[in-house]
Amino acid sequence: MTGHNKIAYRKKILATALLCSCLFLLLFVRLVYICVWQADYYSAKADELHERERSIKAARGRILDRNGEVLADNRTVCTVSVIHSQIEDPEEIIRVLSAELGLSKEEITRRVSKVSSIERVKSNVDKSVGDRIREYDLAGVKVDEDYKRFYPYGDLASKVLGFTGSDNQGIIGLEVIYEEYLKGEPGNILTMTDARGVEIEAAGERRQEPVAGDDLVLSLDRNIQTYAQQLAIQAMLTKQADSVSILVMNPQNGEMLACVNVPEFDLNDPYTLVNAQDGTNLTGKAYQDALNAMWRNGCINDTYEPGSTFKIITAAAGLEEGVVTPESTFSCPGFIVVDDRKIRCHKIAGHGSQDFVHATMNSCNPVFITVGLRLGVENYYKYFEQFGLKRKTGIDLPGEASTIMHRKEDMGNVELATVAFGQSFQITPIQLLTTAASIVNGGNRITPHFAVMTKDREGNVTNAFQYPVQNGIVSEKTSETVRSILEKVVSEGTGKNGKVEGFPVGGKTATSQTLPRGSGRYIASFIGFAPADDPQVIALAIVNNPKGVYYGGQVAAPIVRQLYENILPYLGMEAYNE
Amino acid sequence: MAGERVMRRRKEHSEYFFDYSLLFIVLFLAGFGLVMIYSASSYEALQENGDAAHYLKKQLIAIIIGFVVMIAVANINYHFWERFYILGCIVAAGALFMVLTPLGIESHGARRWFRIPGIGLQVQPAEIAKIATILFLAVMVCKMGSSIRTLKGMCILLIVPGILALIIKVVTNNMSSALIVLAIAAVMIFVASPDYKKFILMGLAGAAGVTVLVMYIVSTGGAGGFRNERIIAWLDPESEGLDKGFQTLQGLYAIGSGGVWGKGLGQSMQKLNFLPESQNDMIFSIICEELGLFGAVAIILMFIMLIWRMMVIAQNAPDLFGAMLVVGVMGHIAVQAILNIAVVTNTIPNTGISLPFISYGGSSIMFLLAEIGLVLSVARRIQLKEL
Repeated sequence: MTGHNKIAYRKKILATALLCSCLFLLLFVRLVYICVWQADYYSAKADELHERERSIKAARGRILDRNGEVLADNRTVCTVSVIHSQIEDPEEIIRVLSAELGLSKEEITRRVSKVSSIERVKSNVDKSVGDRIREYDLAGVKVDEDYKRFYPYGDLASKVLGFTGSDNQGIIGLEVIYEEYLKGEPGNILTMTDARGVEIEAAGERRQEPVAGDDLVLSLDRNIQTYAQQLAIQAMLTKQADSVSILVMNPQNGEMLACVNVPEFDLNDPYTLVNAQDGTNLTGKAYQDALNAMWRNGCINDTYEPGSTFKIITAAAGLEEGVVTPESTFSCPGFIVVDDRKIRCHKIAGHGSQDFVHATMNSCNPVFITVGLRLGVENYYKYFEQFGLKRKTGIDLPGEASTIMHRKEDMGNVELATVAFGQSFQITPIQLLTTAASIVNGGNRITPHFAVMTKDREGNVTNAFQYPVQNGIVSEKTSETVRSILEKVVSEGTGKNGKVEGFPVGGKTATSQTLPRGSGRYIASFIGFAPADDPQVIALAIVNNPKGVYYGGQVAAPIVRQLYENILPYLGMEAYNE
Repeated sequence: MAGERVMRRRKEHSEYFFDYSLLFIVLFLAGFGLVMIYSASSYEALQENGDAAHYLKKQLIAIIIGFVVMIAVANINYHFWERFYILGCIVAAGALFMVLTPLGIESHGARRWFRIPGIGLQVQPAEIAKIATILFLAVMVCKMGSSIRTLKGMCILLIVPGILALIIKVVTNNMSSALIVLAIAAVMIFVASPDYKKFILMGLAGAAGVTVLVMYIVSTGGAGGFRNERIIAWLDPESEGLDKGFQTLQGLYAIGSGGVWGKGLGQSMQKLNFLPESQNDMIFSIICEELGLFGAVAIILMFIMLIWRMMVIAQNAPDLFGAMLVVGVMGHIAVQAILNIAVVTNTIPNTGISLPFISYGGSSIMFLLAEIGLVLSVARRIQLKEL
């Protein structure tokens, strides 16, 4: 070989070594990029892969009444799960779990043999049972503690509070509406595992503590609710009624003090039908329908023809528009002819000559039809909308029903006449109560509501709820006139059974026939507020299909009277002495 | 380098020297490999074989045998092997066809090994082909002399390695070993030829070809066999359902979660069945996970030093044959180490290449140690006065 050649290949060897070194340097740069810049990303991904997650339920926020009484609480229960990869003795596990949990062996076998990272066998297991299972110390069986909803007062305000499902999620009522405040943040127990899911003992576990949900403070008063419920049950039994509802509200701000719908149901056992004989042989859809009917809050989810209580609205509209004054005189021959229709008064002989105050006290239909016709469709519809009757009230419960009303262009005089005394259209009880409250409170359309605020466990307020108020739906003067007329209704008129010794009460009765007409089914109702000159509380009692006497003045007014006799002193109102 | 010792050697053996630095680097890498193989494989080995040290023991035996072979080869004059250059290729080709006989062993869905009857030793014949290629080309370069400069001479040199690579690819379906044989040939021809321009042009043409191919595969969405799928998995390892993407991604998780300082020796999570081949082709990612960027840099530096040592030996070799032998071995080790780390870091598409001296694999470590023996043998013939 020549010397020239030798130098050439030596250079080539150096070039090769340098090239290799450069390539190694490039790989080093690449490594720095992965190990430094992308380290967080890949670490997180790897942790995700290595860690098995078992979630820890967060304690759900409690529900408290206005005085801090606990209406919905949590009880510690256990969730039993099996981890397939860790099971050593499946026979023993099947034996123990079926004995302790009361599940069939087939069911447990199915869970145990299922190849999954973690399989839940049963949740909401009593803590004592969970502790017993834990003592067997079976490999592959996990007992995790969590919380189950517990309602100390059973069926109290059941259709308002609602209940929760197996994952502690709200199913109906306030539990659903305030889910995001109540549920909290679930925590996690993270355990390191290999690729087959076997836990690595030495690695220990990492806990992410759950954050408890906030407590929900309601305007509801447990004592008023309890008493109202007793009155409702009493009325339902004595009048053999299908159902009785009582709503109690503060008319100044819309805070609900009570909302009773008997029959109520047991919140701790919401899947058992109240009427056991109905539930024995119901299955599938029929059973679910029966449950839904039982859970239904009639005051919010159902509409009815309000009847004469609606005369408050007609009166307010007439007075506001100036087509009638308390001194206006009318004559009632026992009927009125509207276009070609003859509409009867409930008093067939007629009320004769009377002023507007007495017409209201007598609940005289022809007079209110006359007022409605004086207003005309255009104006009547204007007030109907102005009072907020076409909108939902916005109450904080799910499934509020909408008003069913004639379309304006379809409304003739006959329709107008029937609407004027509360027939031929439908609204919810809460809509009636809210509208009446807004008329007598000085003309401020309030939003009925239960939730006042949320608090954390230390008692700090985390949210104070604000509800819209629309001012001036009627003038203060009209409001005052309506109040004084309605006080007369109770003190001397059809509502005299609603009179409370020592307190001025205003109110209006109603006896509405349910559809179809002539079925002999009635709804007796009474709406009353106190004190009549400055209302602090307003209540609506509705008795659905009472047997025997069915007049609102006889059936519903006494309920409100008894309620007021107790709660007015309780609410700190002082009786005047004659 | 232990200068004092070299001085002493010079006195004892007059002008010859033994490269202890090279020996030390190789021993360090092999010993470090044993530690990492144990770390990476013990969890899986305990599950599958009931013995945490299963892979460690097998590798240790292979290293001891390889070490003996290395010392023996180092003490034989390398010119002794010159006469076997054609026989070596024939043996390599024959050995490759052995995998088709009943002696062949199938593993991981490919027949790449055969068992030597009697002693039960498993051999991967592709390793024989690599060493045969090195010997063959070293001899041929000397025989051809200046005719190597021509394109024709270059093509003649490529014929035998090309045939061997083809056999590896077709018979054992081992693309990566075939590529390594070709790469060794390319490095040796590059060094033997005094020309640069030709190689730079070919390199550019090759790079352009690869780019066009990748773009074509991407545009067709990887429809066309698992090699194309590898390209797609390379570009987007997180796309779902690709086997090779899964392994690459698991490797990246390991490297990324090791970060700069690593989790500590033995603390890898990815070796717990998550990362397939964690003691084998993917061992570098476990090194990164446990020892971090610093551990990885230490290994890369060791390889650079190894290559540098071999460069010095090749440049000072007493003749062209010795120099070409060393260049071949240097090319082999450099190509495998670079490609392995490139695969593990997802710099190139995934293909099964082991990390020299460190990855688990008996044939690989034994033949590598034999090659180091050759290099040491060349080093011993260096007359120190030439230094």
